[in-house]
Amino acid sequence: MKKTALIYSFNTINTAKAAKMIHEAFGDFPIDEINAETLTKDSFVPYENLILGVPTWFDGELPNYWDEFVPELEEMDLTGKKAAIFGLGDQKEYPENFCDGVGIMAKILIERGAELAGETQSEEYAYIHSLALYKGRFYGLLLDEENQSSLSNDRIKDWVKELKKAFI
Amino acid sequence: MSISKTYSIKSTDKETLRKWYYLMRLGRSLDDKAPNYLKQAIGWSYHAPYAGHDGIQLAIGQIFDRKTDHLFPYYRDMLTTLSAGLTAEEIILNGISKATDVASGGRHMSNHFAKPEWNIHNVSSATGNHTLHAVGVARAIKYYEQRGVAISSQGESSVSEGYVYEAINGASNEKLPVIFVIQDNGYGISVPKRDQTANRKVANNFSGFKNLYIIHCNGKDVFDSMNAMREAKDYVLENGIPVIVQANCVRIHSHSNSDRHELYRDDAELNYVAEYDPLAKYSRMLIRYERFTEDELQRIDEQVNEEVKQAHKQAMKAPDPDPESISKFVYPEPYAALKYPEGIHHHEGEKIKLAQAINETLKAEFRYNPDTFIWGQDMAHKDKGGVFNVTKGMQQEFGPKRVFNAPIAEDYILGTANGMSRFNENIRIVVEGAEFADYFWPAMEQYVESSHDYWRSNGQFSPNVVIRLASGGYIGGGLYHSQSIEGVLSALPGVRIVYPSYADDAAGLLRTAIRSKGITLIMEPKALYNSPLAAASFPEDFEVPFGKARIRCTGDDLTILTYGNTTQMCVEAADLISKERKVSIEVIDLRSLIPMDKETILNSVKKTGKVLIVHEDNVFSGYGAELSAMLMEEAFENLDGPIKRVGAPFSPVGFNRILEKAILPNMDKIKNAALNLLDY
Repeated sequence: MKKTALIYSFNTINTAKAAKMIHEAFGDFPIDEINAETLTKDSFVPYENLILGVPTWFDGELPNYWDEFVPELEEMDLTGKKAAIFGLGDQKEYPENFCDGVGIMAKILIERGAELAGETQSEEYAYIHSLALYKGRFYGLLLDEENQSSLSNDRIKDWVKELKKAFI
Repeated sequence: MSISKTYSIKSTDKETLRKWYYLMRLGRSLDDKAPNYLKQAIGWSYHAPYAGHDGIQLAIGQIFDRKTDHLFPYYRDMLTTLSAGLTAEEIILNGISKATDVASGGRHMSNHFAKPEWNIHNVSSATGNHTLHAVGVARAIKYYEQRGVAISSQGESSVSEGYVYEAINGASNEKLPVIFVIQDNGYGISVPKRDQTANRKVANNFSGFKNLYIIHCNGKDVFDSMNAMREAKDYVLENGIPVIVQANCVRIHSHSNSDRHELYRDDAELNYVAEYDPLAKYSRMLIRYERFTEDELQRIDEQVNEEVKQAHKQAMKAPDPDPESISKFVYPEPYAALKYPEGIHHHEGEKIKLAQAINETLKAEFRYNPDTFIWGQDMAHKDKGGVFNVTKGMQQEFGPKRVFNAPIAEDYILGTANGMSRFNENIRIVVEGAEFADYFWPAMEQYVESSHDYWRSNGQFSPNVVIRLASGGYIGGGLYHSQSIEGVLSALPGVRIVYPSYADDAAGLLRTAIRSKGITLIMEPKALYNSPLAAASFPEDFEVPFGKARIRCTGDDLTILTYGNTTQMCVEAADLISKERKVSIEVIDLRSLIPMDKETILNSVKKTGKVLIVHEDNVFSGYGAELSAMLMEEAFENLDGPIKRVGAPFSPVGFNRILEKAILPNMDKIKNAALNLLDY
């Protein structure tokens, strides 16, 4: 079994809640949880499958803990790794940068050679602009706890089903 | 995020990283210390903390080159100006308003950092007002082919101001080398961004403008900000068009020390913004990527503390402003019109009409000084030269770079004149401030601003601008075409106001105004532009000093003080009365309202003992009210009757000729008033 890590900030509320739901949906699939706020190159590199929780701060930025890791990431060779990203956003209040963090992170990972898993369809969302959108699909799983919380459970379950296939 | 990657934590050399850390730590130390000066009643009563804007402010200052660029910082730009080269002592001197403050000698509000000798301009408190100045100086940068940029730094709320749109529109249209840096912390004092504009990314409101490149960056992050500003400057220099950099920041503290942000921000938000403290992030990055050790940073911190301590000591010893200096730098020295010291000539020859006199004088001055420019509405399109054709033929002779149309934006017309004159002291700018004087009101914020630039900068900058306005009534123009506005404008110190009645004086005053430093407003009586009554012959080199009235006819029994459209009426009335009675009336054509020729007025009153003041502006609070008050204070003993005034009643000027006639002064009204006063 390939080593899989679920990396997110343990100090978040919505992202952590979604991470727990994702972990649960994986069932017996072995996954290590890592706190993104203390992430290092050494703790990141050993994993072949990566699930990253990347929220969006302010008007479309990575949170500090991810942003400060980016210079390390930009020098890594991620060839052979599969990465899936989920992120939370608010389509109504921040429609100009809905889940931009997912898109920013996705582009960095792709550039470093990682294969992205868990792209999702972009229907059922109403926003103005998102860096997470690429050729009509999202780079990862986009959750909106403020406006579409009732959809989150199914979205997570469907996403994890896809990831299980991709992570084999 | 910006696109370029010139700077990064791994690639930037250690000395540069050290310099940045030092500046950021120094800035924050001063930012944190500033409130203590107020608590101790030393000063710095206005302090707008910048904490949370650290990345972009550092970057603006680092990108700015004082040899080629012009920087317009706003009232939150402490680190910007430190990064651009100001010392800690200079920051404190401004904060506690000392005489040696390099921005203003303690005249302007604290936390308005500047150093005009380095092209770090002293700007207004009116948010975003300097955007127009940046565009104006950029026009000069382009005209004189200097490889540099103008940087206008401001908060995101300033973008709600109409004049900021005018500025960006103009820079886009004229393709000017400007970087507009919008430091976006989400608030205009307590007003959130959502109450300002629908677009959270306010820079994107301008995405439809041509010739404009928009960059978004993380203003809290040093590297993203440096890369964005580098990219912006390179882009402007390479492409010659403006750039907007919108830097996302946080405001960690209240707007200023008169604001309490806990009244409108909850704990969650305050924790959120504090968590993204840019300085803490930069420090973490330096250590995480092993560019500095904690000990090394601590040693820098100690150096910063020592510099702040020494700066404080020195600043506290600095002298306070001298109360005797308050009248200094209200006006710069005018051109010494020595050829005609009284503004009188004895030339005889063909009479020229007033409009033609202005036209020929403008042309003569444009030939005399190649650094002269003129713009305004309807200024230059084929054979049209100004709404009254006063500038006819100028564009053909001097070209479209010196004589050109302005957009229908009066504030832009005046604001960019102020800005362009900042480029060097030789430049002289003439603007037609508006199509008609009473359309000038949208320019009032730049008029006010320009009126006190010289005083506020402690004599370091004067806008060398002549504002021409076609004024007054008697043309059946009604509202916006016939009002008089000199009474209102004369209430503001810092602008000379002249109002000729005859062609020779119009020419002479215009020449003096263009050659002078400072700002002069010329009110041109448009009803007399082509009137034979105002035509005069005069020598080609005629000049009239400011503050010199002209006695149009001498007399012993009554003094009439007047200017502009009513002078000829007063002369006619005086003439008729002297023929009807054995009396003589002295008519004084004031010519200059500011400065006022008190000497000529008082000498006349000593002789006649009676004064009639005539102007077409409203009697109530018109310029005559000031004349009357001055006479009561300084000539009471000489008066042999009440001071009387003839002017418009307290009403607008109506359009129908019947209404206009009922409202404005005329020869009969003046004659009757004079007779009544003579009989007193």
